[in-house]
Amino acid sequence: MYKLTGVTRQYQKGRHTVRAVNGLDLIIAGGEWLAVQGRTGHGKSTLLNLLGGLDRPTEGTIELDGIDLGAQAETRLTRLRAQLIGFVFQTFNLIPTLSAAENVETALIPLGISGAGRRARIAAALDAVGLADRADHLPTELSGGQQQRVAIARALVKEPRVLLADEPTGNLDTDTRDDIIALLEQLWRERGLTLVLVTHDTTIARRAEHIGVMREGRLTIHQETTPGQPIA
Amino acid sequence: MFFVTYLRRELRRRMRQAIFIALGLALGVGLVVTVAAASAGVKKAQSGVLSALYGVGTDVTVTGPAPSPPKPDGTSKNNQNNQNSQNNFGIEPGPNGQPEICTSNGKCISAAGKTIDQLTAPYSGISASKLAEAGRLPGVTAAAGGITLTDNTTTFGDSSNSLPQPSSFTLDGVDTSKLSLGPLSSAALTSGHSFTAADTDAGVAVVDSGYATSKNLKVGSVLTIDQAKFTVIGIVRQPQASSPPDVYVPLTRAEAMSLYAGSLNSEVNTIYITAASAADIPAVQNEIAKLLPHATVTSEASLAREVTGSVTSAAKLANDLGKWLAVLVLIAAFAVASLLTMAAVARRVAEFGTLKAIGWRTRRIVAQVLGESVAMGVLGAAVGVGLGFAGAAIISAVAPTLSATVPAPSGAFSMAAGQAAGPGPAGGVPHAPGSTSSHVVAVPLHPSITVAAIVLAVILAVAGGLLAGSLGSWRIARLRPADALSRVA
Repeated sequence: MYKLTGVTRQYQKGRHTVRAVNGLDLIIAGGEWLAVQGRTGHGKSTLLNLLGGLDRPTEGTIELDGIDLGAQAETRLTRLRAQLIGFVFQTFNLIPTLSAAENVETALIPLGISGAGRRARIAAALDAVGLADRADHLPTELSGGQQQRVAIARALVKEPRVLLADEPTGNLDTDTRDDIIALLEQLWRERGLTLVLVTHDTTIARRAEHIGVMREGRLTIHQETTPGQPIA
Repeated sequence: MFFVTYLRRELRRRMRQAIFIALGLALGVGLVVTVAAASAGVKKAQSGVLSALYGVGTDVTVTGPAPSPPKPDGTSKNNQNNQNSQNNFGIEPGPNGQPEICTSNGKCISAAGKTIDQLTAPYSGISASKLAEAGRLPGVTAAAGGITLTDNTTTFGDSSNSLPQPSSFTLDGVDTSKLSLGPLSSAALTSGHSFTAADTDAGVAVVDSGYATSKNLKVGSVLTIDQAKFTVIGIVRQPQASSPPDVYVPLTRAEAMSLYAGSLNSEVNTIYITAASAADIPAVQNEIAKLLPHATVTSEASLAREVTGSVTSAAKLANDLGKWLAVLVLIAAFAVASLLTMAAVARRVAEFGTLKAIGWRTRRIVAQVLGESVAMGVLGAAVGVGLGFAGAAIISAVAPTLSATVPAPSGAFSMAAGQAAGPGPAGGVPHAPGSTSSHVVAVPLHPSITVAAIVLAVILAVAGGLLAGSLGSWRIARLRPADALSRVA
């Protein structure tokens, strides 16, 4: 699915140049669940942005099914994101003036799906996350967990091949966190998604197939795990 | 439709800001509409004054030069052939101080108990051949001759030692075959009927309504002019700003009377001309000036320059101050709308970054922002047009009546009490050639809102919204999703 070769991303911060991702090589297979851990400021979110085509590497190549993301024009990248990649953010990032159904609908706008087909997919997505009865609620009328479910529905309504989640439970309480992770795991299994999840939480990370740890821009992949087992 | 739903919800979310922006645009637009209405009203008032002065259908008026003053021997260059004219006399004080009527050959009689009726002409004559030539000039579609005269009647008392004031009325000879040109073209008939082509040499007259009232004349009344009888066949009213003659007679009859008016000799002293188009008027004026180098050639434009008074000041106020004030307010409204829109876009950076992340193209997001701005512009236009109507109504209600001081040419020769003159063709004291008197006309101001002004208002408001949206959209176009999302994190 993904092949990263010598990927570096550096920024200018004031007088200093920061290498958020530093010479990273990585292969993520299709259908794999990779959890990325690490301390704040070590490049986890930058890696996620590069995988999602939201940013371009300073050096190296990122291939998604053979497509060099760094070499694509912005409109092509936008199109790839619209079709192939779903995002879930820590702060949910719902449009506050739109209802749950309308927020899910925003993901279908770029695909040009209209009419009955659109409505059916929105209903199915909300049903999949257990919010069919909350379709008309605004984000302010939903709990944190419910808002994150809406965000997951928005990410999945377009049937992407990749789901990138950046601290999806970072703003949630423990019980809700578990619910959300369980939902993500269920959807990953059911749909064969390639799931890359950034988290601080080791408990969550252990539920993934592989765990990678970002340290100073470099990623170290641990051996394949099974849920509940300590990292080697 | 998702676009409209998103737009509506977003405007509702920041309703106060949206209303503020719309009101700002409305204020600028309302001022533009009000100034345009006031300007249109003033132009209409000016145009009314000018068309009243000028007459409908007449583009250029040509008048003969002012007659030269009489020489000390009683003759003048203009009427050396008219030694038998009834006007060849003067009034002089007699040996006992009482006024005497003296002819050019020096014979004097007492003026006591006598009535003197004199016809004078303010302009010298223009020959029939020159009139015909004027009608054939390029750019001229019609030309009609006319004669302007003044009838002065002086009645001396039996024992008066001083010169009495003459009573006078003005008289125009009208070409009855070309009534669409000249002084009767803008007159409205109030009773009776106007001239027909058959009245070319008839002893009939049409009388101005003001003169008819003052002299208690009506249709059927009989006027005596220069010892000839004229039956009143119609009474007309001219537009307020004009200086209409008191009496109109057929041109042929006026030509006959003008034999004795001193400076005329079966000629006309005015030509009324219609040009083929407004663009031809300057060229026509030039051609006539070459044909008649001593004549005075005027058009509506040149007459407009002579009109003064508060109507002119109001025109300047509307065109200069009003226009620039409206422009400044609009610029301010555009600036405020732009700043507020850019601030709103800044607050929505995370929202737009998310939309870009999930696959929205920049132009789709830009269209959404522009749509919101245009919606505010349309709202501003609607309110602005309403404000414009209100402003025009206020101006109409509270604006003082304007005044226009319009030129009114007076006769070159007229009796002046107490001033003696030698025997001569016309025993009066000549005014300086070309001098005019003037009178003040009240001109009500009625602002009028045209469709063009409303369309302009809508365009300006929508343009303001588009400008504001464009500046915000420029920011969106430069937005990198990763940067936008990092601000949320």
